[in-house]
Amino acid sequence: MRILRRWRHPASWSIFRLDDRLLLILIAVIVGTCSGLAAVALNRSLIAMFEWLHHFRHYWWSFIMPAIGAALSALFLDKMVKEGAGHGVPEVIYSVSRYGGLMRFRSSFSRLISSCLTIGSGGSAGPEAPVVMSGAAIGSNIAKLFSLNDRQRVTIVGCGAAGAISSIFNAPIAGMVFSIEVILGEWKAVNIVPIAIASVAGTEISRILQGNQIAFSHRLFHIGHLDIVACIGLAIISAVASVLLTRLLRSMHGVSKKAPFPIWVRAAAGGCAVGIIGIFLPIVLGEGYHPLRTMIEGAYTQGLGIVTLAVFAKILATSLTLGWGGSGGIFAPCLVIGSLAGLTYHRGLLLLWPSVPWVNEGCFALLGMAGLISGMLHAPLTGIFLIIEITGGYEVILPLIIVSVISTTLCHYIEPVSFYLKELVEKGQLLRPGTDARVLSDLSVQELLEKDCIIVKQNMLLRDFINIIKKSHRNYFPVEDEKTGRFLGMIHLDDIRSYLFNPLMYDAVVLGQIMDTDVKVVYLDDDLSEVLRKMDVNRLFSMPVIANRKFLGMISKATLLDKYRNELMVQTDL
Amino acid sequence: MPFLAENHIVFICKGMHGCTSHILPSAFSLLSIYMKLNLNDMARCLDLPVSTVDRWIRQGRIPIHRSGNDCIFKESILEKWAFNHGLRFSLPNEERKKEQKFGLTNLLPAMQLGGVFHDIKGDDVESVLKSAVDKVPVPAINKQGLYERLLEREALTSTGIGKGVAIPHPRTPLPEETDNSLITTCFLEKPIDFEAVDDRAVFVMFILLSTSIKNHLHLLSRLAFCVRDDSFVEFLRTYPDTSSLLSKIADSENLLDKADHN
Repeated sequence: MRILRRWRHPASWSIFRLDDRLLLILIAVIVGTCSGLAAVALNRSLIAMFEWLHHFRHYWWSFIMPAIGAALSALFLDKMVKEGAGHGVPEVIYSVSRYGGLMRFRSSFSRLISSCLTIGSGGSAGPEAPVVMSGAAIGSNIAKLFSLNDRQRVTIVGCGAAGAISSIFNAPIAGMVFSIEVILGEWKAVNIVPIAIASVAGTEISRILQGNQIAFSHRLFHIGHLDIVACIGLAIISAVASVLLTRLLRSMHGVSKKAPFPIWVRAAAGGCAVGIIGIFLPIVLGEGYHPLRTMIEGAYTQGLGIVTLAVFAKILATSLTLGWGGSGGIFAPCLVIGSLAGLTYHRGLLLLWPSVPWVNEGCFALLGMAGLISGMLHAPLTGIFLIIEITGGYEVILPLIIVSVISTTLCHYIEPVSFYLKELVEKGQLLRPGTDARVLSDLSVQELLEKDCIIVKQNMLLRDFINIIKKSHRNYFPVEDEKTGRFLGMIHLDDIRSYLFNPLMYDAVVLGQIMDTDVKVVYLDDDLSEVLRKMDVNRLFSMPVIANRKFLGMISKATLLDKYRNELMVQTDL
Repeated sequence: MPFLAENHIVFICKGMHGCTSHILPSAFSLLSIYMKLNLNDMARCLDLPVSTVDRWIRQGRIPIHRSGNDCIFKESILEKWAFNHGLRFSLPNEERKKEQKFGLTNLLPAMQLGGVFHDIKGDDVESVLKSAVDKVPVPAINKQGLYERLLEREALTSTGIGKGVAIPHPRTPLPEETDNSLITTCFLEKPIDFEAVDDRAVFVMFILLSTSIKNHLHLLSRLAFCVRDDSFVEFLRTYPDTSSLLSKIADSENLLDKADHN
C-alpha cells in the first residue's frame, strides 16, 4: 500500500530530489515529448479534416462551412469547457505572470479541438497558438504532479510552449527563442537549459512521426547589394501590415463584443464572411501553408493587383475569424500575409525598375514573413530563427535580420505593446519578474505590517498616556473604543507635543478629545501600488492598517523600502 | 517525503526551544546534511514575516523545500543564500546569545561587580578620585587613563548631583577598558567640597563605567531614582556595609521594575 502511494506521487521519488536542475531537465523531456505529440495530433487531424471536407468545396454553399466550423468551436469553448475565445498565448502569459504558471487541465486539449474545427473548416487562423496553449497547460499540469514551486513551474510551462512550437514547425531554435522571448520574457540559464531540452524532445517527436522535412524548402537565392537596400522598404511595408492586422483584430473584437447575439452566432457570422471572401480569393481560407509553399518557390502567378488585394483580404479574413469568436493563432496568417506583402513589394520593384536583376520573388516572400512575425510579436529573434529554420536557408540571414529588426522597431513606434501583451498591459496584469509592478504585486500589506504600536483607549487620561509614551518606540498611537475594540482615530506625538509639558492638562483631557479622527487608512487586501499612491497624494509616510474596523498595525514607507529591496534582490538573482 | 519518515537518526540540538533539528542520513545525503524546522521558527530565524517565507518557498525563491508545515533545508546553503541577499539567518540558540550581549545591565549586578569601599582618603576632588580609582576593578594599566578621563569630565561641570552624592563618570563609554558596565561605590573618610549643585559636601561617590551610552543612561536614571528618595540618602549617611547596601538597592530596583510594568 505504501509503495503504491509512493508511485502515485512522483514528487516523492527520491531520485527526483537528487538535484533540482536535474529534476527540471527530466521533466522538460517529458513535457517536450507530450507537447510535441499534441502538436503532431493537431497537425494530423487538420490534414484529415481538410481531405474529408475537400469534396464539399465545389458546392455553391461551401461558403457556410467556415461559419459552421467557427460556430461549433465557439459553442465548444463556451458551453463545454467554459473558456474564452481567442488564441491562447495571452492566457499563457497571464497565467505565467500572475499565477506562477498554474493552468487548468482541460486547457491542454480544449484549444486543439476548437482550433481544429475553426481551421479545418476554412477559417483563417493558425494552429500554432492553440498548440502553444496546450503545450503550456500540459507542462503546468505535469509540474503540479511533481509538486514543483512557482518558479520551476513557470520554466516547465515555457518548456511546453517551446516543445509545441518546435514540433509543429520542426524548428527547435525558434521554439526555444519564442518561449523565452515571448512567453517568459526572462533570459536566464535556469530557464534556457530545460527549455532547450524540451525543444529537442518536441522536434525529435515530430521528426519520428512525420519525418524530417523542412516546411518551405526553396532553391538557392543569390542576394545582391541592392536587394539588401531594398529590404528596408519591405520592412516598412511589413510593419504597416502588422500594425493594420493588430488594429483590425482588436477593433473587430470590440465590434463583436457589442453585437447583441450569442457568441456562436457571432462566430458563425464571422465565418460566413470569411467564406464569402474565400469564394473570390481562396488563398485566405485555412492556415494557408499550401499557397505559402508556392509563393516561396516563386511559382505564384497572380499579378500585382490581385496580390495586393490578397494582402488586405487575408488581414480582413483573419480578423473576422479571430475577432468574431473563432479559435486559432496568428502565426500562420502572419506568415501568409508576410509572404503576400513580400510578393507585392517585389512586383512593385519590378514595375518601377524592370532592368535591375532583383533576386527571385520567393526570397522577398520569405523576408516578408519574418517582418510580419517580428512586427506582430515584437520579437525579432523569434522571427529570424523561425524563418531560417522553416525555410532551411542560411544565405538570407543578412536581409532577414534587417527586415526583422526594422519591422520590430517601426511597430514599436506605432504600437508600443505587442499584440499578445496589449490586453494584459491595459489591465495592468503583465508582471515580468524583477519589475516594480511585480514586486509590488507579490508583497502584501500583511507582510509589511509593523505591530509595535501601543493601542490606547479613548477614555484614557493624558496623565496615563504620558506613561505609555515612555515605553513606546513609535510616534503614532492608535485609539480604539473600550467596549467594541473599534478603531477610532490616531494620535500623532507631533500634534500634542505642546500639551505634554503642561501638567494642568494632564487630568483635564482624555485621548478621545485630542485624537485625529480624519485618518486615511489602508485595508488588509489593498493593492500596494494603490497604498503607495495614497501615501504620495496625502504626503504621508505611514498609515494605519484596518481590518474588520479593528487596528492591525502600521504600514510605512521605511519598512516598505526595506522589504521592497529584499524582494527585488530575491527576485532578480537566481 | 518518505526519506524523511523512514529510519533516520534524529538529533536534537540542546538549547533550541520548541524546535528540533533532524540530521537525516538518506541514500544520497552522505555529503549533505538536511535540517528541519517548522515554518514559524524558520520565519523567526530569518527575521521575516511568516507570510513572506511561506510565499518565497511557494514561489521557489528561497532554497527551502516544504513538507507539510516543515521546512527542509541545508544550513550552509541557506546561510550563503541569506548573506547574498542581504538577509540574516541564525538558528534560535545563537540568536539568544546575541540578545544577551546587547541587553541592559541593572543596578544590582553593576554594583556587585564594581564593589563597595569605605574610608576613601583625600582632601579635594583630585586626591579623592585618585584613591577611588585605585579601588575600581579594572586592569592596572587602564587606571591612569580612567583617572584623567574622570577629571576631564569634572572640569566640564561637577558630577555632584546634590544631597551629598556624586556620580563621577567618563564622558564617553569605555567598551575597551571594561567588558561589563559597573558601579564602584566609595564612602569617603570625610565629606569634601565637590562644587555640587546644592553646594553640600559630598560623602559618597558612585563611579559609573558603562559599555555603551544606552547602558549609561539606563544606570544613571536608575541611580537617580534611588537618590531622589530622601530615605535612601538617609540610609547612605549611616555608611552601611556592603550586604545591607546591596539588599537596599535590590529593593529599590524591584520597586522600579514594578512601576515600569504597570
